[in-house]
Amino acid sequence: MSPPSDSSQPRLAAGCRWGGTDENRVILFPEGAIKLQGTGQQVLEHCDGQRTFGDIIRELQSQFTEADPNKIRDDISKFLEQLQQKRIVDY
Amino acid sequence: MVSNPLALIAELTHRCPLHCVYCSNPLQMAGATSELSTEEWTSIFQQSGKLGMLHAHFTGGEPLARSDLTELIAAAHAAGLYTNLITSGIGLNEPRLQALVAAGLDHIQVSFQDSREEPANWIAGAKAHAHKIELARAIRRHKVAFTVNLVVHRQNLDHLEEIIAFIEQMNPERVEIAHTQYYGWALVNRTALLPTRAQVEKAIEIVAAAEKRLAGRIRIDSVVPDYYAKYPKACMGGWGRQLVLINPAGKVLPCHAAEVIPGLEFENVREKSLEWIWQESASFRRFRGEDWMPQPCRSCDRRSEDFGGCRCQALLLTGDPTATDPACSLAPQHHIVDLALAEANSGGAVASPTTASSFVQLQNQTSNLWTYRTNPD
Repeated sequence: MSPPSDSSQPRLAAGCRWGGTDENRVILFPEGAIKLQGTGQQVLEHCDGQRTFGDIIRELQSQFTEADPNKIRDDISKFLEQLQQKRIVDY
Repeated sequence: MVSNPLALIAELTHRCPLHCVYCSNPLQMAGATSELSTEEWTSIFQQSGKLGMLHAHFTGGEPLARSDLTELIAAAHAAGLYTNLITSGIGLNEPRLQALVAAGLDHIQVSFQDSREEPANWIAGAKAHAHKIELARAIRRHKVAFTVNLVVHRQNLDHLEEIIAFIEQMNPERVEIAHTQYYGWALVNRTALLPTRAQVEKAIEIVAAAEKRLAGRIRIDSVVPDYYAKYPKACMGGWGRQLVLINPAGKVLPCHAAEVIPGLEFENVREKSLEWIWQESASFRRFRGEDWMPQPCRSCDRRSEDFGGCRCQALLLTGDPTATDPACSLAPQHHIVDLALAEANSGGAVASPTTASSFVQLQNQTSNLWTYRTNPD
Protein backbone atom coordinates (compact mmCIF):
# COMPACT_ATOMS: atom_id res chain seq x y z
CA MET A 1 0.00 0.00 0.00
CA SER A 2 1.12 3.52 -0.62
CA PRO A 3 1.06 6.75 1.42
CA PRO A 4 -1.88 9.16 0.95
CA SER A 5 -1.79 11.46 -2.08
CA ASP A 6 -2.88 15.10 -2.02
CA SER A 7 -6.34 14.18 -3.30
CA SER A 8 -6.88 11.27 -0.86
CA GLN A 9 -9.72 11.79 1.58
CA PRO A 10 -8.69 10.13 4.82
CA ARG A 11 -11.43 8.89 7.15
CA LEU A 12 -11.86 6.38 9.94
CA ALA A 13 -12.11 2.85 8.52
CA ALA A 14 -15.28 0.76 8.79
CA GLY A 15 -15.79 -0.40 12.37
CA CYS A 16 -13.76 2.45 13.85
CA ARG A 17 -15.36 5.43 15.54
CA TRP A 18 -14.75 8.07 18.17
CA GLY A 19 -15.72 7.30 21.75
CA GLY A 20 -14.74 7.99 25.35
CA THR A 21 -15.29 11.35 27.00
CA ASP A 22 -14.40 14.90 25.94
CA GLU A 23 -11.33 14.90 28.20
CA ASN A 24 -10.36 11.41 27.16
CA ARG A 25 -11.17 10.81 23.52
CA VAL A 26 -10.45 7.40 22.07
CA ILE A 27 -10.91 5.67 18.76
CA LEU A 28 -12.88 2.49 19.22
CA PHE A 29 -12.38 -0.53 17.00
CA PRO A 30 -13.66 -4.11 17.28
CA GLU A 31 -11.23 -5.46 19.83
CA GLY A 32 -9.93 -2.38 21.52
CA ALA A 33 -9.36 1.35 21.57
CA ILE A 34 -6.52 3.77 21.11
CA LYS A 35 -6.15 6.80 23.27
CA LEU A 36 -5.24 9.91 21.33
CA GLN A 37 -3.75 13.09 22.58
CA GLY A 38 -2.24 16.25 21.19
CA THR A 39 -1.41 16.42 17.53
CA GLY A 40 -2.36 12.81 16.79
CA GLN A 41 -5.88 13.59 17.92
CA GLN A 42 -5.92 16.83 15.96
CA VAL A 43 -4.85 15.10 12.77
CA LEU A 44 -7.53 12.44 13.07
CA GLU A 45 -10.22 14.99 13.86
CA HIS A 46 -9.44 16.48 10.43
CA CYS A 47 -9.89 13.06 8.78
CA ASP A 48 -13.60 13.41 8.11
CA GLY A 49 -13.69 11.90 4.62
CA GLN A 50 -14.44 15.37 3.19
CA ARG A 51 -11.13 17.18 3.50
CA THR A 52 -8.36 15.96 1.24
CA PHE A 53 -4.92 15.06 2.51
CA GLY A 54 -3.72 18.28 0.84
CA ASP A 55 -6.31 20.34 2.79
CA ILE A 56 -5.35 18.70 6.07
CA ILE A 57 -1.66 19.39 5.53
CA ARG A 58 -2.32 23.03 4.65
CA GLU A 59 -4.52 23.58 7.68
CA LEU A 60 -2.02 22.08 10.07
CA GLN A 61 0.93 23.82 8.43
CA SER A 62 -0.80 27.16 8.92
CA GLN A 63 -1.50 26.27 12.53
CA PHE A 64 2.03 25.15 13.40
CA THR A 65 4.00 27.92 11.70
CA GLU A 66 7.13 27.25 13.71
CA ALA A 67 7.57 23.70 12.46
CA ASP A 68 9.17 22.79 9.12
CA PRO A 69 6.25 22.39 6.68
CA ASN A 70 7.94 19.47 4.92
CA LYS A 71 8.39 17.69 8.21
CA ILE A 72 4.71 18.20 9.04
CA ARG A 73 3.77 16.65 5.71
CA ASP A 74 6.12 13.68 6.18
CA ASP A 75 5.05 13.03 9.76
CA ILE A 76 1.33 13.12 8.99
CA SER A 77 1.79 10.97 5.90
CA LYS A 78 3.65 8.32 7.91
CA PHE A 79 1.13 8.51 10.76
CA LEU A 80 -1.82 7.95 8.40
CA GLU A 81 -0.03 5.19 6.53
CA GLN A 82 0.61 3.34 9.79
CA LEU A 83 -3.03 3.64 10.81
CA GLN A 84 -4.10 2.52 7.36
CA GLN A 85 -2.00 -0.64 7.71
CA LYS A 86 -3.83 -1.34 10.95
CA ARG A 87 -7.20 -0.82 9.24
CA ILE A 88 -8.03 2.17 11.44
CA VAL A 89 -7.88 4.76 8.67
CA ASP A 90 -8.87 4.49 5.01
CA TYR A 91 -7.95 6.92 2.25
CA MET B 1 -10.29 1.85 44.09
CA VAL B 2 -9.33 -0.09 40.98
CA SER B 3 -10.00 1.22 37.47
CA ASN B 4 -13.38 0.37 36.06
CA PRO B 5 -13.52 -2.35 33.41
CA LEU B 6 -12.94 -1.39 29.78
CA ALA B 7 -15.39 -3.80 28.22
CA LEU B 8 -18.39 -5.95 28.95
CA ILE B 9 -18.75 -9.46 27.60
CA ALA B 10 -22.47 -10.10 27.48
CA GLU B 11 -23.07 -13.83 27.32
CA LEU B 12 -26.73 -13.53 26.38
CA THR B 13 -27.65 -17.20 26.25
CA HIS B 14 -26.07 -20.62 26.29
CA ARG B 15 -28.49 -21.88 23.65
CA CYS B 16 -26.77 -22.52 20.32
CA PRO B 17 -27.71 -24.22 17.04
CA LEU B 18 -24.08 -25.31 16.60
CA HIS B 19 -22.31 -28.01 18.59
CA CYS B 20 -18.66 -27.06 18.00
CA VAL B 21 -16.21 -29.49 19.53
CA TYR B 22 -13.86 -26.62 20.45
CA CYS B 23 -16.51 -24.59 22.31
CA SER B 24 -15.18 -22.89 25.42
CA ASN B 25 -18.58 -22.57 27.09
CA PRO B 26 -18.80 -24.28 30.47
CA LEU B 27 -20.02 -27.88 30.61
CA GLN B 28 -22.63 -26.72 33.16
CA MET B 29 -24.70 -24.27 31.17
CA ALA B 30 -27.40 -21.84 32.21
CA GLY B 31 -30.87 -22.90 31.03
CA ALA B 32 -33.25 -20.71 29.03
CA THR B 33 -35.57 -20.13 32.01
CA SER B 34 -32.78 -18.53 34.06
CA GLU B 35 -31.85 -15.96 31.38
CA LEU B 36 -31.86 -12.25 32.15
CA SER B 37 -34.76 -10.22 30.72
CA THR B 38 -34.51 -7.38 28.19
CA GLU B 39 -34.95 -4.86 31.03
CA GLU B 40 -32.22 -6.46 33.13
CA TRP B 41 -29.74 -6.34 30.24
CA THR B 42 -30.75 -2.75 29.48
CA SER B 43 -29.93 -1.79 33.05
CA ILE B 44 -26.55 -3.54 32.72
CA PHE B 45 -25.69 -1.54 29.57
CA GLN B 46 -26.69 1.71 31.27
CA GLN B 47 -24.52 0.87 34.28
CA SER B 48 -21.65 -0.05 31.95
CA GLY B 49 -21.89 3.25 30.08
CA LYS B 50 -21.89 5.19 33.37
CA LEU B 51 -18.78 3.30 34.49
CA GLY B 52 -17.01 4.58 31.36
CA MET B 53 -16.82 1.19 29.71
CA LEU B 54 -16.20 1.27 25.97
CA HIS B 55 -17.32 -2.00 24.39
CA ALA B 56 -20.16 -4.47 24.69
CA HIS B 57 -19.31 -7.82 23.14
CA PHE B 58 -22.46 -9.84 22.53
CA THR B 59 -21.77 -13.54 22.70
CA GLY B 60 -23.22 -16.81 23.92
CA GLY B 61 -24.07 -19.54 22.98
CA GLU B 62 -25.61 -17.93 19.97
CA PRO B 63 -26.78 -14.37 20.72
CA LEU B 64 -29.22 -14.55 17.78
CA ALA B 65 -31.17 -17.14 19.77
CA ARG B 66 -32.44 -14.16 21.79
CA SER B 67 -35.49 -12.77 20.01
CA ASP B 68 -34.85 -9.37 21.64
CA LEU B 69 -31.31 -9.00 20.26
CA THR B 70 -32.15 -5.89 18.22
CA GLU B 71 -33.51 -4.17 21.35
CA LEU B 72 -30.42 -5.18 23.30
CA ILE B 73 -28.06 -3.78 20.64
CA ALA B 74 -30.09 -0.55 20.62
CA ALA B 75 -29.89 -0.31 24.42
CA ALA B 76 -26.11 -0.82 24.46
CA HIS B 77 -25.68 1.67 21.64
CA ALA B 78 -27.82 4.24 23.48
CA ALA B 79 -25.58 3.76 26.53
CA GLY B 80 -22.61 4.82 24.38
CA LEU B 81 -21.04 1.39 24.03
CA TYR B 82 -19.34 0.06 20.91
CA THR B 83 -21.44 -2.96 19.96
CA ASN B 84 -19.82 -6.13 18.69
CA LEU B 85 -21.87 -9.19 17.77
CA ILE B 86 -19.97 -12.48 17.98
CA THR B 87 -22.03 -15.02 16.11
CA SER B 88 -22.22 -18.20 14.07
CA GLY B 89 -24.64 -16.36 11.80
CA ILE B 90 -27.27 -19.05 12.18
CA GLY B 91 -30.57 -17.28 12.70
CA LEU B 92 -29.55 -14.20 10.76
CA ASN B 93 -31.17 -13.23 7.48
CA GLU B 94 -30.83 -9.94 5.64
CA PRO B 95 -33.87 -8.15 7.14
CA ARG B 96 -32.73 -9.02 10.67
CA LEU B 97 -29.20 -7.91 9.83
CA GLN B 98 -30.57 -4.62 8.53
CA ALA B 99 -32.51 -4.12 11.77
CA LEU B 100 -29.41 -4.79 13.86
CA VAL B 101 -27.35 -2.30 11.86
CA ALA B 102 -30.13 0.29 12.14
CA ALA B 103 -30.17 -0.32 15.93
CA GLY B 104 -26.50 0.68 16.10
CA LEU B 105 -24.49 -2.48 15.53
CA ASP B 106 -20.88 -1.38 14.97
CA HIS B 107 -19.27 -4.70 14.15
CA ILE B 108 -20.13 -8.29 13.40
CA GLN B 109 -17.80 -11.24 13.84
CA VAL B 110 -18.83 -14.45 12.14
CA SER B 111 -17.13 -17.74 12.94
CA PHE B 112 -16.07 -20.13 10.21
CA GLN B 113 -14.93 -23.66 10.99
CA ASP B 114 -13.13 -24.43 7.70
CA SER B 115 -13.07 -23.53 4.01
CA ARG B 116 -14.46 -26.90 2.98
CA GLU B 117 -18.08 -27.66 3.65
CA GLU B 118 -17.74 -31.23 4.89
CA PRO B 119 -15.11 -30.68 7.61
CA ALA B 120 -16.72 -27.36 8.60
CA ASN B 121 -20.04 -29.03 9.32
CA TRP B 122 -18.28 -31.96 10.99
CA ILE B 123 -16.55 -29.64 13.48
CA ALA B 124 -19.73 -27.62 14.09
CA GLY B 125 -22.00 -30.67 14.33
CA ALA B 126 -24.46 -28.76 12.15
CA LYS B 127 -25.07 -27.89 8.52
CA ALA B 128 -24.02 -24.29 8.88
CA HIS B 129 -21.25 -23.63 6.36
CA ALA B 130 -23.31 -22.79 3.25
CA HIS B 131 -25.49 -20.36 5.19
CA LYS B 132 -22.43 -18.58 6.57
CA ILE B 133 -21.08 -17.97 3.08
CA GLU B 134 -24.38 -16.49 1.99
CA LEU B 135 -24.50 -14.33 5.10
CA ALA B 136 -20.96 -13.03 4.49
CA ARG B 137 -22.13 -11.73 1.10
CA ALA B 138 -25.15 -10.05 2.71
CA ILE B 139 -22.98 -8.40 5.37
CA ARG B 140 -20.93 -6.65 2.69
CA ARG B 141 -24.11 -5.02 1.42
CA HIS B 142 -24.58 -3.22 4.78
CA LYS B 143 -22.70 -0.54 6.60
CA VAL B 144 -21.17 -2.61 9.36
CA ALA B 145 -17.60 -3.71 9.98
CA PHE B 146 -16.93 -7.41 9.47
CA THR B 147 -14.47 -9.83 11.03
CA VAL B 148 -14.15 -13.50 10.18
CA ASN B 149 -13.16 -15.63 13.11
CA LEU B 150 -11.45 -18.95 12.54
CA VAL B 151 -10.60 -21.34 15.35
CA VAL B 152 -7.68 -23.53 14.35
CA HIS B 153 -6.65 -26.95 15.66
CA ARG B 154 -5.21 -30.32 14.68
CA GLN B 155 -8.04 -31.06 12.23
CA ASN B 156 -7.84 -27.94 10.05
CA LEU B 157 -4.30 -26.54 10.35
CA ASP B 158 -2.96 -28.61 7.47
CA HIS B 159 -4.88 -26.53 4.94
CA LEU B 160 -4.64 -23.14 6.63
CA GLU B 161 -3.45 -21.43 3.44
CA GLU B 162 -6.54 -22.58 1.62
CA ILE B 163 -8.75 -21.36 4.48
CA ILE B 164 -7.14 -17.91 4.47
CA ALA B 165 -7.65 -17.65 0.69
CA PHE B 166 -11.29 -18.63 1.22
CA ILE B 167 -11.73 -15.95 3.90
CA GLU B 168 -10.04 -13.35 1.70
CA GLN B 169 -12.78 -13.78 -0.90
CA MET B 170 -15.36 -12.70 1.67
CA ASN B 171 -13.51 -9.39 1.96
CA PRO B 172 -13.75 -8.74 5.72
CA GLU B 173 -11.86 -5.85 7.32
CA ARG B 174 -10.33 -8.23 9.78
CA VAL B 175 -9.59 -11.91 10.35
CA GLU B 176 -9.05 -13.47 13.71
CA ILE B 177 -7.12 -16.73 13.64
CA ALA B 178 -7.36 -18.20 17.09
CA HIS B 179 -5.79 -21.39 18.28
CA THR B 180 -8.18 -23.45 20.36
CA GLN B 181 -8.03 -22.69 24.06
CA TYR B 182 -8.58 -25.69 26.25
CA TYR B 183 -11.56 -24.93 28.45
CA GLY B 184 -15.04 -26.40 28.59
CA TRP B 185 -15.80 -28.65 25.63
CA ALA B 186 -12.42 -28.00 24.03
CA LEU B 187 -10.65 -29.50 27.05
CA VAL B 188 -12.87 -32.59 26.89
CA ASN B 189 -11.85 -32.91 23.22
CA ARG B 190 -8.20 -31.93 23.61
CA THR B 191 -6.69 -35.13 22.20
CA ALA B 192 -8.47 -34.63 18.87
CA LEU B 193 -7.75 -30.89 18.74
CA LEU B 194 -4.23 -30.29 20.08
CA PRO B 195 -1.96 -29.69 17.07
CA THR B 196 1.54 -31.01 16.53
CA ARG B 197 4.55 -28.73 16.93
CA ALA B 198 5.15 -28.93 13.17
CA GLN B 199 1.58 -27.75 12.51
CA VAL B 200 1.99 -24.82 14.89
CA GLU B 201 5.31 -23.73 13.39
CA LYS B 202 3.98 -23.96 9.84
CA ALA B 203 0.89 -21.96 10.85
CA ILE B 204 3.04 -19.16 12.26
CA GLU B 205 4.85 -18.88 8.90
CA ILE B 206 1.60 -18.94 6.93
CA VAL B 207 -0.01 -16.26 9.10
CA ALA B 208 3.08 -14.03 8.89
CA ALA B 209 3.10 -14.31 5.09
CA ALA B 210 -0.64 -13.54 4.91
CA GLU B 211 -0.23 -10.54 7.22
CA LYS B 212 2.39 -9.13 4.89
CA ARG B 213 0.43 -9.84 1.74
CA LEU B 214 -2.85 -8.42 3.07
CA ALA B 215 -1.46 -5.40 4.95
CA GLY B 216 -3.74 -2.41 4.52
CA ARG B 217 -6.54 -4.57 3.12
CA ILE B 218 -7.33 -7.18 5.76
CA ARG B 219 -5.98 -6.98 9.25
CA ILE B 220 -5.04 -10.32 10.78
CA ASP B 221 -5.08 -10.82 14.51
CA SER B 222 -3.81 -14.16 15.71
CA VAL B 223 -3.97 -15.90 19.04
CA VAL B 224 -1.01 -18.19 19.72
CA PRO B 225 -1.46 -21.57 21.37
CA ASP B 226 -0.33 -21.21 24.98
CA TYR B 227 0.60 -24.90 25.30
CA TYR B 228 3.46 -24.26 22.87
CA ALA B 229 4.48 -20.89 24.26
CA LYS B 230 7.30 -20.23 26.69
CA TYR B 231 5.22 -18.03 28.95
CA PRO B 232 1.52 -18.06 29.76
CA LYS B 233 -1.05 -15.73 28.23
CA ALA B 234 -2.15 -12.67 30.16
CA CYS B 235 -5.60 -14.19 30.45
CA MET B 236 -8.32 -11.49 30.14
CA GLY B 237 -5.56 -8.93 30.74
CA GLY B 238 -5.49 -10.09 34.36
CA TRP B 239 -8.21 -11.18 36.77
CA GLY B 240 -10.66 -8.31 37.36
CA ARG B 241 -8.38 -5.79 35.67
CA GLN B 242 -9.96 -4.95 32.32
CA LEU B 243 -12.91 -7.15 31.43
CA VAL B 244 -16.12 -8.24 33.03
CA LEU B 245 -18.37 -11.03 31.81
CA ILE B 246 -22.02 -11.47 32.64
CA ASN B 247 -23.43 -14.93 32.01
CA PRO B 248 -26.97 -15.64 30.76
CA ALA B 249 -28.31 -15.97 34.30
CA GLY B 250 -26.76 -12.70 35.51
CA LYS B 251 -23.69 -14.04 37.29
CA VAL B 252 -20.80 -11.60 37.05
CA LEU B 253 -17.50 -13.28 36.24
CA PRO B 254 -13.94 -12.20 35.50
CA CYS B 255 -13.81 -14.59 32.51
CA HIS B 256 -15.70 -17.24 30.56
CA ALA B 257 -14.57 -20.19 32.65
CA ALA B 258 -14.29 -18.84 36.20
CA GLU B 259 -17.23 -20.84 37.50
CA VAL B 260 -15.08 -23.98 37.41
CA ILE B 261 -13.08 -22.65 40.36
CA PRO B 262 -14.47 -24.17 43.54
CA GLY B 263 -15.08 -22.05 46.61
CA LEU B 264 -15.73 -18.79 44.76
CA GLU B 265 -19.18 -17.24 45.09
CA PHE B 266 -20.00 -15.10 42.08
CA GLU B 267 -22.43 -12.28 42.65
CA ASN B 268 -25.52 -11.77 40.52
CA VAL B 269 -26.32 -8.49 38.81
CA ARG B 270 -29.95 -9.09 39.81
CA GLU B 271 -28.92 -8.46 43.42
CA LYS B 272 -25.98 -6.06 43.38
CA SER B 273 -24.76 -3.22 41.18
CA LEU B 274 -22.12 -3.93 38.58
CA GLU B 275 -19.89 -1.30 40.16
CA TRP B 276 -20.07 -2.88 43.63
CA ILE B 277 -19.40 -6.34 42.24
CA TRP B 278 -16.38 -5.10 40.28
CA GLN B 279 -14.92 -3.02 43.10
CA GLU B 280 -15.87 -4.89 46.23
CA SER B 281 -16.92 -8.49 45.69
CA ALA B 282 -14.71 -11.22 47.13
CA SER B 283 -14.66 -13.13 43.84
CA PHE B 284 -13.20 -10.20 41.88
CA ARG B 285 -10.68 -9.44 44.61
CA ARG B 286 -9.58 -13.06 44.96
CA PHE B 287 -6.90 -13.04 42.22
CA ARG B 288 -6.59 -9.31 41.63
CA GLY B 289 -3.10 -7.89 42.08
CA GLU B 290 -0.16 -9.97 43.26
CA ASP B 291 -0.90 -10.98 46.85
CA TRP B 292 -2.29 -14.37 45.91
CA MET B 293 0.72 -15.31 43.78
CA PRO B 294 2.85 -18.36 44.52
CA GLN B 295 6.50 -18.72 43.56
CA PRO B 296 7.95 -18.49 40.96
CA CYS B 297 5.35 -15.81 39.93
CA ARG B 298 5.76 -13.69 43.06
CA SER B 299 9.37 -12.85 42.26
CA CYS B 300 9.13 -13.13 38.48
CA ASP B 301 9.83 -10.06 36.32
CA ARG B 302 6.96 -11.01 34.05
CA ARG B 303 4.30 -10.98 36.78
CA SER B 304 3.02 -7.57 35.73
CA GLU B 305 2.80 -8.71 32.08
CA ASP B 306 1.08 -12.07 32.32
CA PHE B 307 -0.31 -11.92 35.89
CA GLY B 308 0.64 -15.53 36.54
CA GLY B 309 -1.38 -16.75 33.55
CA CYS B 310 -4.85 -18.20 33.74
CA ARG B 311 -6.46 -19.21 37.05
CA CYS B 312 -8.99 -21.48 35.37
CA GLN B 313 -6.31 -23.33 33.44
CA ALA B 314 -4.32 -23.74 36.67
CA LEU B 315 -7.37 -25.28 38.33
CA LEU B 316 -8.34 -27.45 35.37
CA LEU B 317 -4.87 -28.90 34.88
CA THR B 318 -3.41 -28.99 38.40
CA GLY B 319 -6.51 -28.93 40.62
CA ASP B 320 -5.18 -25.78 42.32
CA PRO B 321 -6.42 -22.36 41.16
CA THR B 322 -3.52 -20.61 42.92
CA ALA B 323 -0.83 -22.56 41.05
CA THR B 324 1.33 -20.93 38.40
CA ASP B 325 -0.36 -21.53 35.04
CA PRO B 326 1.16 -24.86 33.91
CA ALA B 327 1.48 -23.45 30.37
CA CYS B 328 4.43 -21.44 31.75
CA SER B 329 7.80 -23.10 31.17
CA LEU B 330 8.82 -21.95 34.66
CA ALA B 331 5.79 -23.51 36.37
CA PRO B 332 6.49 -26.30 38.87
CA GLN B 333 3.77 -28.34 37.16
CA HIS B 334 4.72 -27.60 33.56
CA HIS B 335 5.17 -31.36 33.03
CA ILE B 336 1.36 -31.64 32.75
CA VAL B 337 1.44 -29.58 29.56
CA ASP B 338 4.57 -31.36 28.33
CA LEU B 339 2.80 -34.68 28.72
CA ALA B 340 -0.14 -33.50 26.60
CA LEU B 341 2.30 -32.21 23.97
CA ALA B 342 4.24 -35.48 23.95
CA GLU B 343 1.00 -37.31 23.21
CA ALA B 344 0.05 -34.82 20.49
CA ASN B 345 3.43 -35.23 18.81
CA SER B 346 3.62 -39.01 19.02
CA GLY B 347 2.42 -39.47 15.44
CA GLY B 348 -1.24 -40.31 15.94
CA ALA B 349 -3.41 -40.12 12.83
CA VAL B 350 -5.83 -37.28 12.24
CA ALA B 351 -9.40 -38.41 11.72
CA SER B 352 -11.29 -37.53 8.57
CA PRO B 353 -14.68 -35.87 8.28
CA THR B 354 -17.79 -37.94 8.60
CA THR B 355 -21.03 -37.03 6.94
CA ALA B 356 -24.34 -37.88 8.47
CA SER B 357 -27.97 -37.05 7.85
CA SER B 358 -28.63 -35.88 11.40
CA PHE B 359 -26.79 -34.57 14.44
CA VAL B 360 -27.61 -37.72 16.43
CA GLN B 361 -26.11 -39.88 13.70
CA LEU B 362 -23.02 -37.66 13.57
CA GLN B 363 -22.70 -37.88 17.35
CA ASN B 364 -22.85 -41.68 17.24
CA GLN B 365 -20.38 -41.96 14.39
CA THR B 366 -17.77 -39.79 16.08
CA SER B 367 -18.30 -40.70 19.74
CA ASN B 368 -14.88 -42.39 19.82
CA LEU B 369 -13.24 -39.17 18.62
CA TRP B 370 -14.94 -36.33 20.46
CA THR B 371 -17.92 -35.02 22.38
CA TYR B 372 -20.12 -32.46 20.70
CA ARG B 373 -21.29 -29.48 22.72
CA THR B 374 -24.90 -29.99 23.72
CA ASN B 375 -27.54 -27.45 24.69
CA PRO B 376 -28.70 -26.38 28.14
CA ASP B 377 -32.01 -27.75 29.47
